[in-house]
Amino acid sequence: MINNDLKIEMMRKMLMIRHLENAWGDAYLNEEIDGIPPSLSTGQEAVSVGACMALEKGDFVFTTHRGQAPQVAMGLDPQRIMAELYCREAGYNKGKSYHVSDFSRGVVGMGGIVAGQVPVAGGMALAHKMKGSDRVSLCFFGDGASNEGAVHETANLAAIWNLPLIMLCENNGYCISLPVSRQINTTHISDRAAGYGMPGEWVDGNDPVAVYETVSKAVKRARSGDGPSFIEAITNRLSGHLVHDPQRYRSKEEVESAWEQCPIRGFGNKLQSEGLLDAGSFSAMEAGIKQEVQAAVAFARQSPPPASGEAFEDLWA
Amino acid sequence: MIDRRLFRSEGKISPEKREWPNFRGAIKEAMREEMRRDENVFQMGEDIAGASPFGVTAGLVKEFGPERLRDTPCSEVAVLGAAIGAGLGGMRAIMEFQFGDFMSVAIDQLTHQAAMLRYLTGGQVSVPIVVRLPCGGGQRCGSQHSQSLYSWFAHAPGIKVALPSTALDAKGLMKSAIRDDNPVLFFEHKALYRTRWPVPDEFKDEDYLIPFGQSAVRREGSDITIVATLVMVHYALEAADLLAKENIFVEVIDPRTLVPLDTGSILKSVKKTGRLLVVDEAYLTCGMQGEIIALVSENIFQDLKAPPRRLGNPGVPVPFEPSLEDTVLPTTEKILKAVREMVAA
Repeated sequence: MINNDLKIEMMRKMLMIRHLENAWGDAYLNEEIDGIPPSLSTGQEAVSVGACMALEKGDFVFTTHRGQAPQVAMGLDPQRIMAELYCREAGYNKGKSYHVSDFSRGVVGMGGIVAGQVPVAGGMALAHKMKGSDRVSLCFFGDGASNEGAVHETANLAAIWNLPLIMLCENNGYCISLPVSRQINTTHISDRAAGYGMPGEWVDGNDPVAVYETVSKAVKRARSGDGPSFIEAITNRLSGHLVHDPQRYRSKEEVESAWEQCPIRGFGNKLQSEGLLDAGSFSAMEAGIKQEVQAAVAFARQSPPPASGEAFEDLWA
Repeated sequence: MIDRRLFRSEGKISPEKREWPNFRGAIKEAMREEMRRDENVFQMGEDIAGASPFGVTAGLVKEFGPERLRDTPCSEVAVLGAAIGAGLGGMRAIMEFQFGDFMSVAIDQLTHQAAMLRYLTGGQVSVPIVVRLPCGGGQRCGSQHSQSLYSWFAHAPGIKVALPSTALDAKGLMKSAIRDDNPVLFFEHKALYRTRWPVPDEFKDEDYLIPFGQSAVRREGSDITIVATLVMVHYALEAADLLAKENIFVEVIDPRTLVPLDTGSILKSVKKTGRLLVVDEAYLTCGMQGEIIALVSENIFQDLKAPPRRLGNPGVPVPFEPSLEDTVLPTTEKILKAVREMVAA
């Protein structure tokens, strides 16, 4: 059940995701860091926050390339996330991949290959089951990824083997430039769940409480041995596919209307109307988080890059 | 045609030889022992429990049950991914591809996920999986069921590759593969499955492991080194016997693993003989034959008495029609011809 402290925490995490990612995006746009441009989850924060807060220690998440949201939501240290985004040795992966992982906290950062993480998440669920543990495995994947064979295969396998797998599809409306209407021929991606042989539903991905409650139901099912679930969280991608993407394939009006549904704004209004977080407290919270993010950037900036020998480490166990 | 009476050239198998373990049985024995030793070892594959196609897993489900011998649907991507994820979660999966050629269906999970997860996470995880791949031609199985694709995957960093050519190798390498914390591809030449081998006492030792990166000198010689794998090892030995009568003495090196490769033994041998012929069924273009020749040329060029040569599939799909297949694959005859030319030059 959701309590008020949890809701405040949700807002905090959503703000952290927003500001951490903006700082990363700025670092790239200001040419402080180089390489493949950042992929931000702007507008999608509520999905990861609601979902991850429904999990417990020992559960695992497998991320997409927009991994910062689950990383923050699972409680990873913003300083070490930022250090990784800056490719510094102090980062979680020693600066070797911005798909940040912290295995000890149940975060496996993937997404370099769209949907590549989904079969692996299925395997973690299999391990939980074979070891007689009641822990669950949750994989994030997008509307674009939902069409990959890896997703269909994993869903079917999870259903026939009754795996404790939660398949969480973040439908943000676009696979880079392709709108969902041109990607699927049904109304909802979650319509496929029945075909796979598992329960499925869609949820308002901009409402962290709704996501939390939906994922909690799925987690409970999985823990009690009732197998996998397919959840489609409907949300918006407010930034480009990558931060430098001008999104010319979207009209100004469409983008503006998507911003109206910003989950931070929406949830902030809700908390205010519930008397849980007034405007002043919200500003104070946001100011505090911005300071934390600045500290994270400072930490990243002064962290050394990995030594050149590191290129040859960690190939073999 | 790779004669199904390979290694029984004297005719019906003698009673004594019937006692020798066979290649497929050696693999099964290794897996059985390791599954008894470690409850985290389990298997997945199409029909492995119910109707093992090459008989390698036949009967294991009686001892270990269907949870540890899992028949899978046709979902190589999901099943290989399951092996990987289960590995992250503390299990040790052995996955069988019914024909090794099908590895192509799940390349991403192998080369981008299994092979790279440790590196990309900065060493936080390891992926202890074994992938069993029936391979090789000579049995009229057609282009998509007869390949020797280890070169494709040896090319990708983070994958170990085993190529056992005898029952002892099969058992020792399989045990090493299962205990290895890295992704291992275990190629099983289909023509070797029913062959029987004399084995030393160590074969029965449950802790007899053959380390990766250790080749075997199958035969010593002074005039030319043949590096050969799988069935080609045996063709090379057959050729060596015949060539000895012509006073040409062939050294046969069997690398046993392609990754890691025992480069040292190969260089040592070619330094001695001055000549190198690499024989394998792989397609020649960008095949492992070229890789071995490159290593030798880079390191001991000055010791070569003749240009190195290679035999393999010249670069066509392995034909289904028998006479066409025989034209394409290396044979003892082709080895004899190549060696004679190299020694005469």
